[in-house]
Amino acid sequence: MAMTAVARETVFALRRQIAKIEGTLPERLNAPAAAPLDADFGADAAADTRASATDLTLVRRGLAVASPDAFLSTGAERLDAALGGGLPKAALSEIHGTQTRDAGAVAGFALSLTSLILKQAQGLPVLWIGTSEIFREAGFPYARGLHASFGIEPEQLLFSEAPRLVDALWVAEEAARMTALAAVILEIRGNPQRLDLTATRRLHARTQGAGRPVFLLRQAAGPEPTAAPVRLIVASAPAVPRATLAGPLAGSIGRPAFTVTIGKSRTALPGQFTLEWNPDDRAFDERWGDERRTEARRKERATNPVPVVSLSGGGKDPAAASGAVLAFPAVGSPAALSTTARDQPPPGQRAAHLGPRRAG
Amino acid sequence: MISHRQGNAQRISALDERAEALHLKRGMGIADARAMHPSIDIVEADPEADRRLLEGLADWCDRYTPLVALDGADGLFLDVTGCTHLFGGERVMLDDILSRFFHQGFDVRAGLAATPGAAWAAARFARDRIVAGGEEEALLAPLPLAALRIDPATRTSLESVGLRTAGAVMTAPRAPLARRFGASLLLRLDQAIGRLDEAVSPRLPVAPLSVERHLAEPVTLTEDIEKLVGMLATTLKADLERRGEGARTLALLLFRVDGAVSRIAIGTSRPMREPRLIQRLFHERLAALEQDIDAGYGFDLVRLSVLAAAAFDMAQADLTGEVADDGADIALFADRIRARLGEDAVLRSVAVESHLPERAVATPPFAEPPRRTTPPKKPQRLPAPITIFPPERPIRLFRSPEPIEVPATEMPEGPPLHFRWRRALYRVARAEGPERIAAEWWRAAPSDPAASTRDYFRIEDADGRRYWLYRQGLYGGSQVPPRWFMHGVFA
Repeated sequence: MAMTAVARETVFALRRQIAKIEGTLPERLNAPAAAPLDADFGADAAADTRASATDLTLVRRGLAVASPDAFLSTGAERLDAALGGGLPKAALSEIHGTQTRDAGAVAGFALSLTSLILKQAQGLPVLWIGTSEIFREAGFPYARGLHASFGIEPEQLLFSEAPRLVDALWVAEEAARMTALAAVILEIRGNPQRLDLTATRRLHARTQGAGRPVFLLRQAAGPEPTAAPVRLIVASAPAVPRATLAGPLAGSIGRPAFTVTIGKSRTALPGQFTLEWNPDDRAFDERWGDERRTEARRKERATNPVPVVSLSGGGKDPAAASGAVLAFPAVGSPAALSTTARDQPPPGQRAAHLGPRRAG
Repeated sequence: MISHRQGNAQRISALDERAEALHLKRGMGIADARAMHPSIDIVEADPEADRRLLEGLADWCDRYTPLVALDGADGLFLDVTGCTHLFGGERVMLDDILSRFFHQGFDVRAGLAATPGAAWAAARFARDRIVAGGEEEALLAPLPLAALRIDPATRTSLESVGLRTAGAVMTAPRAPLARRFGASLLLRLDQAIGRLDEAVSPRLPVAPLSVERHLAEPVTLTEDIEKLVGMLATTLKADLERRGEGARTLALLLFRVDGAVSRIAIGTSRPMREPRLIQRLFHERLAALEQDIDAGYGFDLVRLSVLAAAAFDMAQADLTGEVADDGADIALFADRIRARLGEDAVLRSVAVESHLPERAVATPPFAEPPRRTTPPKKPQRLPAPITIFPPERPIRLFRSPEPIEVPATEMPEGPPLHFRWRRALYRVARAEGPERIAAEWWRAAPSDPAASTRDYFRIEDADGRRYWLYRQGLYGGSQVPPRWFMHGVFA
């Protein structure tokens, strides 16, 4: 059977190549049917979905096996499951905001995805293309903030400001072909006539060739036909208070949070998710309902009794909290029977070699 | 006939042959001329347009020599040293220039001599004469004083003492001449004869390298021009390789049959010599300029010049012959965008040490920093302090802070309860702050230091959107009431 396994690998590889040439995107079939999208979504069900997602990698069109690298996993399990593994990497993805004032959230979500990509493609530059109109209306990207929240260095950022939409689209098409860029962000305001199905199809085709994602941010736009396989509608969600050692700090504004609605996806049913961006880990945390979160926190407390917050913030490897670790074990404990401990005089007793205490 | 205003009277400044045949003269009053011939056609003089026309002609003369200088309002100097053999000799070249100008509809006189002064005199007083080296004195001797390029006052006073020709001045003793008429007379004389060198300062800098192609059949199509650019760039590559350089600025000159010249320049982020890439850059530039370039009857001379060059580092290829260099891809990409959309089309961001948020990031145009072979020396400065908790900064910053209306705050120095921005009312749900930011002390100090103080607040509105507001000025202390601004948005 080893021969057939090798042969199947070859056939799959060839099919993948054909699918790439034909321009069909590898899609997964399994996830949406199995993933319940309502609020009461059990942990065991999530485990099930994860298991099935790794097992089944069948594709509807082209009959090719999707390469595991074809999807950008957001890290939020329910969203990944709904999208069938994550956002496609070699594709155009539309991220919509319903109003111009949502520009911060839309840009923030796209930058979080870019930050996830940069974890793998380190050091590659990111190109942000926008029309003059959107930069005037919604503000120019601020490199200091991008560095603080998303870990994107100022040297990695390239901006292109085009006075007209035609020019912005041309720059985006040229940039979508480049493999030397980690990601391309194209930001457009409203529903211009020129950004129609044909224009998005051109962009999508070039993106597929290069294998780098293009995020099309559309501020203050309504849904319209697009060649992008995925459309997400992003709005900002109220942030949770900052976590401190003494519990949540009342009235403070914590990590950025987004409400993500799936507007269009070939594999997913429409659904809504609330994600929280963790700037320390550069990862998404999915936010559950309130009772779910307290329960999760209780469970976490049970397994890990040290205080949740440490000096290193929300990082993966928090510094050991003070209080739980003792430098000198208490007298009488089993550890006190070690040799070094035995040699120490008990507290309150003077050492013999110091001699008797003189009076006066 | 062309008139100009001199003093209080309209006078004739230029006139054509038919007007000359009517015995009209330059400098005559318009009123007198009208009285003599009521039907004459008079046009107001336009020195600006004349100047533009002369510069256009100078551009066209670039096809003969790169050293073209303007001379007054109606003359051009061409330094053809070393160029004449390309056109078949001095006489052939002069005839070519004259016939081409004649076909364009200009009445041109030319002279060719070893010194600019003698050529000037030959063009104006001896028609189409070629003066061999050493014959300058013989040329000048019979000519009137005007041939010496001296100012009218000196000329009048020389004539008043009986020196009416250049030859008379040359034979006169020099010392009394210098004493009475100033050094400029002798300087002009010496320059014309060749005793002193006179530099002709060209209009445009001379390109270190340029290649050109004369075409028997003029081209009009953009594709043909691009192909020609590719061929010229291939020729240029050998020269650049010999010099070990790459082009940083390139100019394409298109000479139209009827005399118009189009000059198209591109800049590159890093030195470049690959013909294919040069052709692609010009492809973008020509596509952007499609409306501006009028091919007319076609271009009969195409020239590609390197205006600026820099040392070219060869990259070591690996065994498969591929050079993996993402930077080159991006540099080329940026060059193409800039060739099409202008110099500021691609920006990079640079962190600047400053307290003011809008100054803390600069966005200069994309440029490849010059590559060094030795590592740069570290500046002898203390490193900036590293903060464990960097201050929260927005991800988008408005180009200029937008004024907002704040009706009330909970505390005088506290965050607002409501605010109105872009005609919409926002209710503040939560607020963090203030973070006080003031300009550095070495910036121009305003009259009231409190007025430049900004207190920044992070605000979350009822819908969860996060903003960065600031209050400029303080309550109570100063005369001016504080104002509120929206400066940025958070994720």
